Amino acid sequence: MPKRLLVAAVAALMAVAGCGGSDSASDSNTLKLWHYEGPDSAMGVAWAEAIKQFEASHPGVKVEFEEKGFEQIQKTAPMVLNSKDAPDILEYNKGNATAGLLSRQGLLTDISEEVAKRGWDKKLGPGIDTTAKYDERGVMGSGKWYGIPNYAEYVMVYYNKDMFDQQGLAAPKTLDELTAAMKKFVAAGITPLAVGGAEYPAHQILYQLALTKADRDWVDRFQRYTGDVDFHDKAWVYGAETFAEWLREGYISKDSAGVKAEDMGLAFMQGKNPIMISGSWWYGRVQAQVKDFQWASVPWPGMTSGSSGNLWVVPKGAKNKQLAYDFIEITMSPAIQDKLRDAGGVAVAPSDTPAADPKAKQLNDDFSELSEGDRLAFYPDWPAPGFYDVQVSSVQKLITGQAGPHEVLTELSDYYKENLASVGK
Amino acid sequence: MRRHAVLWSMIVLAVVMLVPFFIVVLNAVKTPEEYSTGGPLSLPSGVSLDGVIAFWERVDFGEKLLNSVVISGSVAVLAVVVSVFNAYALGIGRVRGRLWILVLFLIANTLPQEALVYPLYFLANEVGLYDTKTAVIIIFTVIQAAFGTYLLTSTLGGFPRELLEAARIDGANKWQTLVRIVVPISRPTLGVLFVFFFIWTWNEFFLPLVLLISNENQTVPVALGVLQGQRMMDATMTSASALLGVIPAIVFFLIFQRALTRGITAGAVK
Repeated sequence: MPKRLLVAAVAALMAVAGCGGSDSASDSNTLKLWHYEGPDSAMGVAWAEAIKQFEASHPGVKVEFEEKGFEQIQKTAPMVLNSKDAPDILEYNKGNATAGLLSRQGLLTDISEEVAKRGWDKKLGPGIDTTAKYDERGVMGSGKWYGIPNYAEYVMVYYNKDMFDQQGLAAPKTLDELTAAMKKFVAAGITPLAVGGAEYPAHQILYQLALTKADRDWVDRFQRYTGDVDFHDKAWVYGAETFAEWLREGYISKDSAGVKAEDMGLAFMQGKNPIMISGSWWYGRVQAQVKDFQWASVPWPGMTSGSSGNLWVVPKGAKNKQLAYDFIEITMSPAIQDKLRDAGGVAVAPSDTPAADPKAKQLNDDFSELSEGDRLAFYPDWPAPGFYDVQVSSVQKLITGQAGPHEVLTELSDYYKENLASVGK
Repeated sequence: MRRHAVLWSMIVLAVVMLVPFFIVVLNAVKTPEEYSTGGPLSLPSGVSLDGVIAFWERVDFGEKLLNSVVISGSVAVLAVVVSVFNAYALGIGRVRGRLWILVLFLIANTLPQEALVYPLYFLANEVGLYDTKTAVIIIFTVIQAAFGTYLLTSTLGGFPRELLEAARIDGANKWQTLVRIVVPISRPTLGVLFVFFFIWTWNEFFLPLVLLISNENQTVPVALGVLQGQRMMDATMTSASALLGVIPAIVFFLIFQRALTRGITAGAVK
């Protein structure tokens, strides 16, 4: 390469690089907003509408929206929020290890005053508001408000109606009915349950089973450290032993230890397995993409994994906090909440008119029932950072037969106890 | 017989290497419905470029391409220049304690980026370069030049002394020796370094992820990360984005592969 050309190239590149520097607008007429939901997801659709409404009701204010990757926000949030480039409002993952941690580090704005003034607390039911409040240790459930969730999610039973009809089975509304149905499928040579052992689905099923013997106090002790947790109590033992029994009976395939969540969903959507126990985050996709058979869902009997969705949080260093609060207000309005519901999401504060689509209506009705019954039990991996990986590997051992149910519970117990000592430190 | 064995093993190797790429292409042109009902290995009924187009528009891929080219290009050029200066001093200039300097460079090169990220963030934030391409260019120039210095120093260590002597007798000063003698003769090696620096920087994910937070500054690999949701993945669009992501690197490689082979053979002859 001739030298002159090289010098010119460097100069040109540096010039482009230089002018692309930080010119992030800091004037009071922009709302810098970040979230990481896809444009076709229920939240993506509803929030796009919310941005439109916000711009209409705030003439002269520009919304500077950027879609982020989940991982980028997870990895960089503490650094971004500590810099002058922090957005005015962003979506952030709920829970002790995420929003709780940021609140403890002083990176989020305490919005309790706005919540009371605008009455957001009245719109969010019990169990939903748990993940919006954090105490000085960063533990959820009490203390100050640091975020507002727009939607909720919960684990339910999806089933293939065509395959159930073929076996002459009705909707599995209780655990006994579910077990009986699975037995019948095994007799017919079909593995009934789609399970992904390599990711969250398997240990969520174990937790679901434990929850059938649990109550609010049990959940609070486990999730919010309000009392002693015994991993060899009635509920945990029932969960682990029943899970092992389901394996023995062939309800769950022994090959599912290495299956990813995505492949679990595909197995259900392709009609290979008639039942899937997983979260409402699948709902929209199953609805859009299953064309070959009729399907339906029933709520899990008893308490179930579930919580509010992710939160809108306002960074401590946000420049336009009032605009951020106005935006949250719009997302909590019946119009946007209905939009979210109609797009296949679970709305936390919808209007009184029910959804037109029967599936969307059922999804939301089931949720109101759970919320009113105070039956949301969060997720099994929440209480300790890194607990997720421990649970995945322990339950994998259970599936492959390397460990028995009691050994699995001991593994979980050891990790939980180790973490308990460092809560809030 | 033996020649055929080599040929067949090369074919097998080529197939093994191309299969993942083929699966990516296969899924990139599928509709999400086809993926859900047929799985990743089924053949699509037709070519659907919706995923590719939707991804391009969703992340404004043209802008990301430009960012990646600017960053990788600047880093490749600057790192080669810095490497040449360093290696000239260390390899030909015979600076005292050069072995220890090289060891230091090598250690710096083996440090995991995860260990560097917080200090780098802190420095960038302090000097006001956080979330700018300039910060990333400076950082990667240093990282790549550390390796380049190490490599080039050993190459220049074996530079024919007679040439340098001849240049000095002809009255060339140190600068002229570098520009007129050393650089032209080691040009093939420099070309290889340039190509490697470009591709390595192009593929960097972690530091750009942390340091380039605004979408307008993001690079191609970071933009691909947008599709990885919390619990959901969109397999067809992810494949489409992967396809878009590798095409520029392949094109670059094809353009410069002659420089690459020349550099490698030049080294072999020596």
